[in-house]
Amino acid sequence: MPRREDSVTIEGADLRRQMLMANPGLSRFRPLPRIISYDDFSTSGMAGWTSLIGNYEDTLENVLPEFRGMYAPQLSVANHWDTGSHGAMSGSYSMKIATRAHKGALNLVLKRMTYIEPCPIQVEMFFAVKPEANELRLSDADVRSFGILLDLQDYDGHPQPRRAMPHLKYLNAMDGELKQRWQYKSVTEEDRMVGPTGETRSHPHFGSEGWVDVPGGEQRLCYNELPTKLNWHYLRLGVDLRSMRVTALQCNDKRMDHDAIDTMMLTPAWANLWSMLNVCLFCETDTDKRCFFYVDSILVSGDWDDA
Amino acid sequence: MREAHTAILSRAEPWSGTVTTEPYEAAWAGEAVIFVRAVETDGAGGEIATCISADGLHWVDEGTTFRLPTKAGEVTFAKLSGFGHYLRFRATLPDGANARFMVSLALKE
Repeated sequence: MPRREDSVTIEGADLRRQMLMANPGLSRFRPLPRIISYDDFSTSGMAGWTSLIGNYEDTLENVLPEFRGMYAPQLSVANHWDTGSHGAMSGSYSMKIATRAHKGALNLVLKRMTYIEPCPIQVEMFFAVKPEANELRLSDADVRSFGILLDLQDYDGHPQPRRAMPHLKYLNAMDGELKQRWQYKSVTEEDRMVGPTGETRSHPHFGSEGWVDVPGGEQRLCYNELPTKLNWHYLRLGVDLRSMRVTALQCNDKRMDHDAIDTMMLTPAWANLWSMLNVCLFCETDTDKRCFFYVDSILVSGDWDDA
Repeated sequence: MREAHTAILSRAEPWSGTVTTEPYEAAWAGEAVIFVRAVETDGAGGEIATCISADGLHWVDEGTTFRLPTKAGEVTFAKLSGFGHYLRFRATLPDGANARFMVSLALKE
């Protein structure tokens, strides 16, 4: 029997923290109090991540051209011709987002949810980004960009409802020149009606125009020395669903000035998107080869009370 | 539960001549069914072949082939097992033929 003085009392918040710290899958994250989703792709499978499709009516032919090259994410073991399976950070599998093999091609995948309460939320993930290893060259300027955007809308009954879309990306290179900086986009693109009824419209918001440097957002990542060597990085994005503003942007040790980041806002809100919480990940190639955005694990959390 | 995932490899894109789908990683899957549904076709048909790869770069024909549908709404398919880590499909349409197909790769653990 333990002596009485050996026992320790842990209060609720500390107990939760200690349990997170002792969990091999979760201790590298710093989630807000409520975990909304946690996907590691090795045990979770695809877990609701899917391909974005542009809106359409009657026929797929009225999907806007900007959306047509997008296709499904893949459960990847990151196989390479020179070393075989690279695997992931926390298991064999990551989720791979692959572009097509032409300069400027972009692919975007997403997980579609809604939120329970408008509150602070946070997305954290461990990721790696690489070009296709079809040349025996460094190839470090072949990926143009990768990023995350949230597609959010106020709840039904909100006094001034908005659709809000915080867009953040790492611009790695443009036309072969390294840029290596974080950017945001707040300007909206023109939405267009698709189909004959006037009920369905589409908004190609992710285009390469209109991105602005995050102040102090220059950062060199660990590309390593070959396209077949992956190093996993940490990314954290915080957003407050009440203000729809970014509250945190962090990549590894670099914490950026989130106050300077504006959110893409669409008003009035859209007709069928109440309380939407979509997490979208994308990458873009700068050459005529595919680029790959690998996500080892991703955790979405929030801070709300049940009262 | 067995993991299962369906990937759309062509979303009614206009096809003519020889067309190859994007590489798709399927290391986790023990079996697959590839479905091809004609959305529009001039009736000329054609053939689709299965290709496998260890690295997504170097490809070899797996040996499974099947015909492309010849009328709108028709579905053709093939069952696959024992494939390598990457799959892709190469469609060959007769000279001058045009068609649009939905190509669905249904994977199971």
